[in-house]
Amino acid sequence: MYRKQVRRRRAVLLLLVAASLTLLSLYYREGNGGPLHGVQDVVSTVFAPIESVADRALKPARDLVNWFHETFDARGENDRLHDQVAELRDQLARAQTTRQEAKEVAALDETLSGGIVPDGTDPVTARVIGRSPTVWYSSVTVDKGSSDGVHVDDPVVAALGLAGKVTQTTPNTAQVTLITDADSAVTARIVPSGATGVVEPDVGDPRDLQLDYLERGTEIAEGQMVVTAGFSTGDLGSIFPPGIPIGEITEATPEEQQAYQRVHLEPFADLRDMSFVKVLTVPSGKGKG
Amino acid sequence: MIVTPGIIGRLMALGAFVAVAQIVCFSKMDVFGSDPDVALLVVISLGVLGGSLTGAVAGFSIGLLMDCLLLETLGGFALAMLTVGYVAGRYRETIGPPTRGATALLGGALTLLGSGVIAAIQIGTGIDATVSFLVVRDAIVTSLIGAALAIPVLWIVRLVVRSALVDERRAARRRPIVTRGGADQAPPVQ
Repeated sequence: MYRKQVRRRRAVLLLLVAASLTLLSLYYREGNGGPLHGVQDVVSTVFAPIESVADRALKPARDLVNWFHETFDARGENDRLHDQVAELRDQLARAQTTRQEAKEVAALDETLSGGIVPDGTDPVTARVIGRSPTVWYSSVTVDKGSSDGVHVDDPVVAALGLAGKVTQTTPNTAQVTLITDADSAVTARIVPSGATGVVEPDVGDPRDLQLDYLERGTEIAEGQMVVTAGFSTGDLGSIFPPGIPIGEITEATPEEQQAYQRVHLEPFADLRDMSFVKVLTVPSGKGKG
Repeated sequence: MIVTPGIIGRLMALGAFVAVAQIVCFSKMDVFGSDPDVALLVVISLGVLGGSLTGAVAGFSIGLLMDCLLLETLGGFALAMLTVGYVAGRYRETIGPPTRGATALLGGALTLLGSGVIAAIQIGTGIDATVSFLVVRDAIVTSLIGAALAIPVLWIVRLVVRSALVDERRAARRRPIVTRGGADQAPPVQ
């Protein structure tokens, strides 16, 4: 009895395997118009309406499962996108910083072009690494010091104009006192009129400087440029070479000129937001004043 | 399995339903980047419940119907599913009815076997594809889904073919009949 069952089982199995292989072989050999393709088409056509109804009937179940998957997937994707946004933001910040720094260095180079750097002066590019936290912005710290050839009283130029002078050095850093410092005084000349005076800060307002001690009767108009005078009389001379742009006249009223011999100017250099400066190092100690 | 015209009708309805449902519903579900192969699990369940002959015939029939509905190479799915159904049935005939853990393992392993056989047939019949990492990953995920769904699918299939199962009939005969007085009465000897 058992043997008969086994024989029957094997026979059926062999029959089914043979049928499958035969179908595979015949289907593979015959063309699209063959009888097996015809049978397949008939079965497919008969079941098409059933499939259509089943598709609509089972759609809620399918959508429910897909909703779970999509929700699960969306959470993972959200985390991934958050990470990506953070990374891209970081990259963007770095790229913008680099671009800004490159622009600033280019502006610095442009400021010093045109022969305003005296012979024997060696400009050293330095990064601003520290800033006085007070509202007067009187000093900044740069990452170049005495080991780079920076000395006390070396002029410091920022992008677009004069920034200040070195007042203290360590081997690797230097303190730069800005032209907005209360003790700062720079001899300056108005171009093209040629009138000279002394640029002093309007303490508390880093965007306003005063040009004092002007000769009375000089015609001064708003918009005129003020540059360093760089005068030299015997051993006494300005520490700033002549021709470095300082700022632009913003207010020149005849009353103030008559009474106080003074006009107001705005510095070209953005002293509140500078990342790089050039220190005009003087290898051989020259007269300061 | 006790084969009667009624049970043949049920099996045909189950086979047709599961083949259509597999094509229009389960294949379109996205579960961890793959989809559940419920048709294969039904064949495994029929093999486990009815033996190798039932498994092989059911696998061949459902596979052949799927070949027709999918307009695939005729005999491809049929051969793969008949193999899986036969192996599931042989497991039951040699080792006995599987426990729950064994059912899950069997579901996973035989789903993987089915995926492998179908892939081999498809590659053998001219699909120009390489076995990439994605294909392997897909087969493994499908197999894990198969393991997870094996027990509920077996339970549903058992409900459908319950009246034809020899084990169920024996169990019913052994079940004591409780009278109103509470005394157990042995079932009549047939």
